[in-house]
Amino acid sequence: MTSRRAVLGGALGAVVAGATGCGRSPRPVQVAVVWSGGELVRFREVVRQYPHPVDVVSTRNDIDAFLSARYRAGNQPDVAIVPQISLIADYARRGWLQPVPAEVTRRFADQWQAMVTVDGRQYGAWVKAAHKSLVWYPADRFPEPPGTWAEFVALVRERAAAGGPAPLALGAADGWVLTDWLENLLIGFAAPGEYQGLVDGTEPWDGPLVRTALTELAAVWAIPGAFPDGIGRALITQNEESVIQVVEGRAAMVVEGDFIAAVADRFRPAGAAALSAARFPAGPRAQPLLVAGDAAMVFAGSGVGGELVEWLTRRESFRPWITAGGYLSPNTLIKPDAYGPAAARAAELSDPAGALQFDLSDQLRGSLGGPDGLGSWKILQDFLAEVTRPGAVDRACRRLVRAAAQARRETGS
Amino acid sequence: MTQPARTRAAASRLLGETVVIDDVGPGRRSRAYPSGGFASLLLTPIALLLGGILLWPVARTVQASVTGPDGQWVGLENFRTALAAEGTWEVLGRTVLWAAVVPVVVITLGFLLAASRRSGTLLLLAPMALPLVVTGVMFRLFYDPDPARGAGTAVLTALAGLFGVPADAAPAWLGSGLITVALMSAFVWAWIGLPVVVFRAALDALPADLTDAVRANGGGRLDVFRDALWRPLLRRTAAIVFALVALGTARAFDLILVMAPGSSLDEAANLAVRVWQTSGSATTGPAAALNTLWLVALGIGVVAAAVGGRQAWPPPTLEAAPARTVAERTRWPVRRALPILIALLWAVPVLALVATSLHSPREAATRGWTAASLRLSSYGEILTQPEVIRSFGFTALLAVSVTVLVIIVALPAGYALARLRPPGTSAAGALLVAASAVPVQVVAGPINEVLERAGLAGTGVGLGLVHVALGAPFAVLVLRNALADVPGARIRAARTAGRREWGVLWRTVPAAVPAIIAVAVLEFVQVWNDFVVGLLFGGSGTPLGLMVFGQTRQFVSNSGTLAAFALLASIPPLVVIVLARRQVIAGLVSGAVR
Repeated sequence: MTSRRAVLGGALGAVVAGATGCGRSPRPVQVAVVWSGGELVRFREVVRQYPHPVDVVSTRNDIDAFLSARYRAGNQPDVAIVPQISLIADYARRGWLQPVPAEVTRRFADQWQAMVTVDGRQYGAWVKAAHKSLVWYPADRFPEPPGTWAEFVALVRERAAAGGPAPLALGAADGWVLTDWLENLLIGFAAPGEYQGLVDGTEPWDGPLVRTALTELAAVWAIPGAFPDGIGRALITQNEESVIQVVEGRAAMVVEGDFIAAVADRFRPAGAAALSAARFPAGPRAQPLLVAGDAAMVFAGSGVGGELVEWLTRRESFRPWITAGGYLSPNTLIKPDAYGPAAARAAELSDPAGALQFDLSDQLRGSLGGPDGLGSWKILQDFLAEVTRPGAVDRACRRLVRAAAQARRETGS
Repeated sequence: MTQPARTRAAASRLLGETVVIDDVGPGRRSRAYPSGGFASLLLTPIALLLGGILLWPVARTVQASVTGPDGQWVGLENFRTALAAEGTWEVLGRTVLWAAVVPVVVITLGFLLAASRRSGTLLLLAPMALPLVVTGVMFRLFYDPDPARGAGTAVLTALAGLFGVPADAAPAWLGSGLITVALMSAFVWAWIGLPVVVFRAALDALPADLTDAVRANGGGRLDVFRDALWRPLLRRTAAIVFALVALGTARAFDLILVMAPGSSLDEAANLAVRVWQTSGSATTGPAAALNTLWLVALGIGVVAAAVGGRQAWPPPTLEAAPARTVAERTRWPVRRALPILIALLWAVPVLALVATSLHSPREAATRGWTAASLRLSSYGEILTQPEVIRSFGFTALLAVSVTVLVIIVALPAGYALARLRPPGTSAAGALLVAASAVPVQVVAGPINEVLERAGLAGTGVGLGLVHVALGAPFAVLVLRNALADVPGARIRAARTAGRREWGVLWRTVPAAVPAIIAVAVLEFVQVWNDFVVGLLFGGSGTPLGLMVFGQTRQFVSNSGTLAAFALLASIPPLVVIVLARRQVIAGLVSGAVR
């Protein structure tokens, strides 16, 4: 009997040892990201050059839920790269983060630094920027979109009435596509300070600014035939599919960030010219320059995380992604020329006189900023769904006010 | 040629014996050999595991739901807050709708299929082997709004056209109106195999002369169903399948997150999704209140199943269950047409997925899967990523280790409960049934506290232990049933030969090998296919479910690579289920019906 017990014990021991062995081996640096598909492949290419193994986990848009669960479990990643910079402030105030290494802070212009600074210390390091005031169109088939909002509305109406490809593609299944539209209009119609007031809570969500912006949005979205196969189809079209619709000639224009350049290239039919990008049309008050970005934060106590972030913000680290296209960065070590065809857009990002405004929904705290199915993402999707009905603007405003109150309760502020 | 017959015999025998109520089985005979100390020794590992990783966390969650941030008693305050939040009632209603509608559909379809044909079990069982994340990918592509890519949309558009609805006004499967129907159809697709195998076993165990007796007394078709099928055995089987499927709908979490586009997620969300998205994984306050509500609902489900599962007819013995011929069962024309229709419906999403994977990513996105193509570039894009290969390795290691550990923990416990029967055995059985129903999200917070205290948070061991704790209750139940079925003569022979308790255990085990295989296969598949546990407790490596999930942010532009990845991730569980199908079916029948 002893021998059998020994066999059983030995088997148990081997399994446990095997399991612990895999837990104790030099752990790769863990990075959580929201990227998926092509962007995830690019980022993995980037970190493959890092001298130590890096494990990249994609959580899609629910990164807040993921990070909270993992942090409370004590198995948080070393680094998380998030577009919602409001999370950086939240987590830093809860004591979950450590400041990024000092040498990293000098790699960004002041206004970019300010976005990731909490109580005087910098908790985020930008690894990617997005220029979100762009209208993409195939230059070989369509003329450049006009420069002002009024002309733009007239053009969409005219094209929709003329038949042929729909004037606009819209990836409304991704709520942030719609918030980007709204934000461009808010900036174009806002008096100085009003836009930032929405973040700080000093500007009401049912005030004249938001009402005007929503009414203007409705002026375009409600045009019959504005989108391929109608609004119902747009609501289940994701942003990359909307780009494919333009590339394939089913729609003429798409309002999207610079990052879709890679998607447009990948699905471009043989012989067709690359998509061109024009600036989003100017409103009566301003020419919008809406920017966003992905910032890396380091969880408290992770030494290897700080080292990785330092490496990620070096000049050469993102070279593979820059070469592949669809990548910009506010990193001042990378000169605009390095971006090749995207150099002009890169220059706009680093131009301090450009009056850039940071993405609103990414700055909103709690569920007001999204993600899927929640807050402003969902409210704008519902607004689009009923945009042709009377009273849509009023209902959207009321829901935004309620969602803002709910978000204040969630965050306890 | 004799093998199918053996399948039937094994299933019906297991089921035949399962009809025994409660625990008045052969085990009680061994009361003559009291061995309490040895039984406690055998039960210690599982008690520690379940106590630490399931029971204490459940208690902690319930406690947190009635206390405030500083641990003071607040009564129902947390429940009021949780229910007052916008949309909570809709989410609760949808969760209940899932638990009520899906089992009825699954049982009805499953019964009709089981009653009409013998073949095709494998086709229906295979979906159960797929990770739910993969099922989500498959049906998201199946319901793609572009008819060239989504076969489901093509059908719906054609149907709408029959009623004069133009193509651009046809309802969309993934739109907010139909999303729940689309999700439920995917869930039914995945779960139909369970009722089919269980009902088939139940039908085989029914005495055939009963039907003849009802007919001879002038009973019609309905009378036959009611008096010869439903009341003797099916009512109980249906109740148990209902409970299993209803409890299983809690797992729709993976499916909803993968399949619902952002614009429909709010209309698709169930309790699990809502708690995940909005609670910030808080383990206290209103989140704990919602989790407690969920536990209470599950508790009611388990009790209802136990009550509904009471036997209304003396159990037929093995000899009294003559195999009924196929011809006898396929009398109604609907029964003949249905299996063909179902087989077609069940195969199309898979074919679409395979065809999509055989297109280059670009073709898949722009031309759809119906265009002729045979390219492997989508597979190439997946297999050239070292992270994906690493994830395959990690998942395989995890699944194998967990499976071995589950057997090591569950086998002695099953033996103790089946043959030694220490005091409290019946209670332990009920506890195990309840434990196998606890959704891990509900107790994730307290589990983390335990793991952290043990210094295992974020390690592969911690992740593995959670898997073991979640898988062990079902394993013990199946093994207990199998060991209780071992003939007494064999035990007596083992006692004579072994004398010592360990020797008896060791000599009894070979009789339970089919059940051990079933448990091992099911456990391996469950760990391989897992998404939630890896999402919440992963850390030192990325399990495959999470890896596939991470690729699902954009569908159309990714459909080729996603389809290829989904298929690659499904191969190992499919292979083991197909290889061990006989034991798995027997195990499911015994585990599900007892």
